[in-house]
Amino acid sequence: MDSSSSGTPRDRRSRIFRLEDGPRRVERDVDEEIDFHIQMRTRRLVDSGLDPAAARAQALQRFGDLSAVRSECLTIDHERERAMQRANHLEDLRQDAGYAVRTLLKNKGFTAIVLLILALGIGANTAMFTLVDALLLRTLPVSHAERLVTIGDPTRTGSLSEGSPRADLASYPLYADVRAGNHSLSGLYASGRAGRLDVFIDHDSGGSVRSGTEAEHPRGRFVSGNFFSVLQLHASLGRTFAADEDLVPGDDPVVVISHDYWQRRFAGDRSAVGRTIVVNGTPLTIIGVGPAGFTGDIVGQPYDMWIPLMMQPSVMPHTEWMDDRGISWLMLMGRLKPGVSVAQARSDVAAVMKRSLVDNAKGDQIGAIERDLRDDPIRVESGARGFSYYRSAYSESLLTLMAAVALVLLIACANVANLLLARASARGREMSVRMALGAGRLRLVQQLLTESVILAVAGGALGLLVAYWGSRTLLHLAGGSSPIPLDAQIDGRVLIFTALLALITAIFFGLVPALRATRVELATALRSQGRGVAGTQGRPGKLALGKLLVIAQVALSLLLLVGTGMLVRSMQKLQNADLGMARDRLAIAEVDAQRAGYDGPRLVALIRDLVARMERVPGVTGVSYSENGIFSGTESGTTLQVEGYTARADSDTVVAYDDVGPAYFHTIGAHLMQGRDFEARDNETGPKVAVINTTAASFFFRDGDAIGRHLTVDSTTWEIVGVVADVEEQGVREGPQRRVYFPMVQMERQPGRFKLEIHTNGDPSRIVVPVRRALQAADPSLVVLSVDPLNHLIGDSISRDRMVAQVVTFFGALALVLAALGLYGVMAYATVRRTSEFGLRMALGAQPGDVTRLMLREALILTIGGVVIGLPVAIMATRLLAGQLYEVAVLDVPSIVLAIIVLSISAAAAGLLPAIRAARVPPLEALRVE
Amino acid sequence: MGISCGNLHTANTMEDLDIGLMRGTLDLLILKAVSWGPRHGYAIAEWIEQVSGSVLLVGEGTLYPALHRLEKQRLVEAEWGVSENNRQAKFYRLSSDGRRRLRTGTSSWYDFVEAAGRALKATSPAPA
Repeated sequence: MDSSSSGTPRDRRSRIFRLEDGPRRVERDVDEEIDFHIQMRTRRLVDSGLDPAAARAQALQRFGDLSAVRSECLTIDHERERAMQRANHLEDLRQDAGYAVRTLLKNKGFTAIVLLILALGIGANTAMFTLVDALLLRTLPVSHAERLVTIGDPTRTGSLSEGSPRADLASYPLYADVRAGNHSLSGLYASGRAGRLDVFIDHDSGGSVRSGTEAEHPRGRFVSGNFFSVLQLHASLGRTFAADEDLVPGDDPVVVISHDYWQRRFAGDRSAVGRTIVVNGTPLTIIGVGPAGFTGDIVGQPYDMWIPLMMQPSVMPHTEWMDDRGISWLMLMGRLKPGVSVAQARSDVAAVMKRSLVDNAKGDQIGAIERDLRDDPIRVESGARGFSYYRSAYSESLLTLMAAVALVLLIACANVANLLLARASARGREMSVRMALGAGRLRLVQQLLTESVILAVAGGALGLLVAYWGSRTLLHLAGGSSPIPLDAQIDGRVLIFTALLALITAIFFGLVPALRATRVELATALRSQGRGVAGTQGRPGKLALGKLLVIAQVALSLLLLVGTGMLVRSMQKLQNADLGMARDRLAIAEVDAQRAGYDGPRLVALIRDLVARMERVPGVTGVSYSENGIFSGTESGTTLQVEGYTARADSDTVVAYDDVGPAYFHTIGAHLMQGRDFEARDNETGPKVAVINTTAASFFFRDGDAIGRHLTVDSTTWEIVGVVADVEEQGVREGPQRRVYFPMVQMERQPGRFKLEIHTNGDPSRIVVPVRRALQAADPSLVVLSVDPLNHLIGDSISRDRMVAQVVTFFGALALVLAALGLYGVMAYATVRRTSEFGLRMALGAQPGDVTRLMLREALILTIGGVVIGLPVAIMATRLLAGQLYEVAVLDVPSIVLAIIVLSISAAAAGLLPAIRAARVPPLEALRVE
Repeated sequence: MGISCGNLHTANTMEDLDIGLMRGTLDLLILKAVSWGPRHGYAIAEWIEQVSGSVLLVGEGTLYPALHRLEKQRLVEAEWGVSENNRQAKFYRLSSDGRRRLRTGTSSWYDFVEAAGRALKATSPAPA
């Protein structure tokens, strides 16, 4: 064997230092190795008799292509180096994760509390994001949704307006004009509400209903025949509407059902296509099933079926909505031609629409139309996210809640950071030892952050559960009696949001404690033996940071509590608002007589018959009727001329009106200020009379008596016989409006749908069932749409406010608990730290009460610090709530005072326990601790 | 080793052979060279030259990429140490993976040579 191979590495430690040699090490190693080889060979050749120069030349020649060998070796070594680094990093990470999990499992109590806080904080945010995403961010599930534009007001999804033509909603003739006249859209479809549908599915195709079958009420919408083609959607089964359908009224009795409805109602049976269903008495054939996941173009209102527009007169008999330019009920959505911008489409469509409106207006209306369009330009906007009533109604509430939960998460972060900080102090020695043994600070920070990330990820996973439950609860709370059918799913976007949130959270609460924990002075730490908090004890910055975090928590909590107070007080005022009527004693029934074929004198007779029947129901003390009624969501408006009043602007002549029955004001409990109520003598043959509310009276008759004056509406003149105190008829927040009431039987036409107002002598919910029975007994074919106690309707109308108030209260309480916990933690830590000081104080004559007061004062100082910082912020920030408050000022002193009191009490409670404990320490023992 | 005849002409012929076969053989020789204990590159080169008569090392430098590749594959481990003449040198030693590879590599090398030898000694186109 060659002797040269027997050399063994003598000193292994040299290897260790080589590792640290920096980036050029690989090059140096290769060069050195090759150099060694050449030298060895040269020496051997010299030994064999060559002169040194020749020997070296020959050695080089025998070696071959030196630079090629060198570069090949370098390539290989660099690759190897990189692979090793990757492996090292992974190994580090695995070790860190393993270590972190073990540490966390060892401190089960700590881990559980942190996880609970994080799960609530992250979960609340995820729940809110789920709703924000579903309502505000997500686009329609159609291809190239970004090329869609809505025309008009995209929030009026359930509206129908009778009267002068409008531009925010379209009549069918207006839609046809815009569709034919525009040059910027490749397609334009219209959709309109179908109201409540009575659908029979199990029957023979002749349309006769089998006895005993109950009508179903799926949600349907009328759409133009190009609905699916403009949206670029295809049927998942069967077909959508053909190009030659929806051209002639009543010609195409077909319907496309949604995929979801197909699954729900037909259990996904393929033979559903081709079956005939009876919709409001009209047989329609199911020709296809929409694409999976598509529930229509309205966010928050999923639809089950789409019926051709041209079937409207057949499906809704006795209503003529197709030819009347005065009936606006269609929402329009178009697809931009390639290369056309929304702005271009806007000017094009607005011009076409204006021409159509002006061309079809009577001479004296043209000026008004042009003025209207100048004040309210025609809206053409991106339709990527579809239509939505809920979007506009709820976005402010949602963003308020989003802000609230973000605050809660911040407080939670501060709290967890504080907990980690306290623990970092306890681990100060561990850190010092590890750093003394050569662990880099970055490495330790990485390890501590790994722990934070693991906590945050686990908290986030639990948070998803909270979010799943929370978003559903929110929808239930928001919808009042019926939850908002928003598609709030935990999908990929939500998961990404949660993951990012967890990561950011981890860095937020983990980084500062990690940096603190690793900023250790080695000598100090190692010198002090035995004490768990050694090495960090006595460093002034450490506790100050914990205190800062507590102050921040108090400040953030104050912000949240002030906002909560304002929203809750607003809510209470809404709930108990004086609406000018007997809200606790009223029930409202809604009846549709039109579908049963009632009209003219027969209808009037029916209404009188129903009133008489209602009056005989036990517990009923008064009955009247009206077209729009109270908290029904429908409203009428008109312009009128008032005797002795000169209008300065068109808008001065606008009033809201309702046509009502005898004793209407007495029945609903409104206060008559002047004159009289409607009576039986105000009938078809009697002189035409009207009642106005106080707002209208003081507006039109500033100086005099309204009674006996005259109003003229469409050339019919009415004499004012009464003035009634303002009644909030449609919404608590509505505020006073000019309002006029006419006797329904004196109107030219009576509405096929009307409300009955029923006054009771007890709880109105008790008469719901007997009233419904009595109505059905009058005529079984009568459609009773609803019978509800008024307070339920009012409750539904403010359910959004209630939801916001309830949720904010929950989070406000959570924030308070977290802040109190944080304060408790800091105080408890301070107590332990200062045990010997207290011992000394007491040894020198201080009473236990003195020590307790000392600690309480400290807690109070922290609280005051938080309040001082938080108050201006709260005052600024709660201005953003202005739009959601009812009879609560933007600077609401009671809420602020209450928030401060609640915070101070919580702070005192949190500080009391450590303070008492501090005072209980026997002086001798306290002194011995040092 | 099976290949012992050595002149420049033969070496040139060897270059025409499949480079994979060549490299595989060199790898095996390197593993063999360090199977008795750690050696630095020069010692390995000398040993291969001695036993193979310079046939397998066309230019001593070609040894080093092969060595580094084996190191990357963890068949050998490298360590810096001090050589017999008191200089820093990089020593290679056989890893347990390398020992396994040497064993399987040697036996499959023999199988290969035997099979190739049988085929090359054939005297008729038809199978025996």
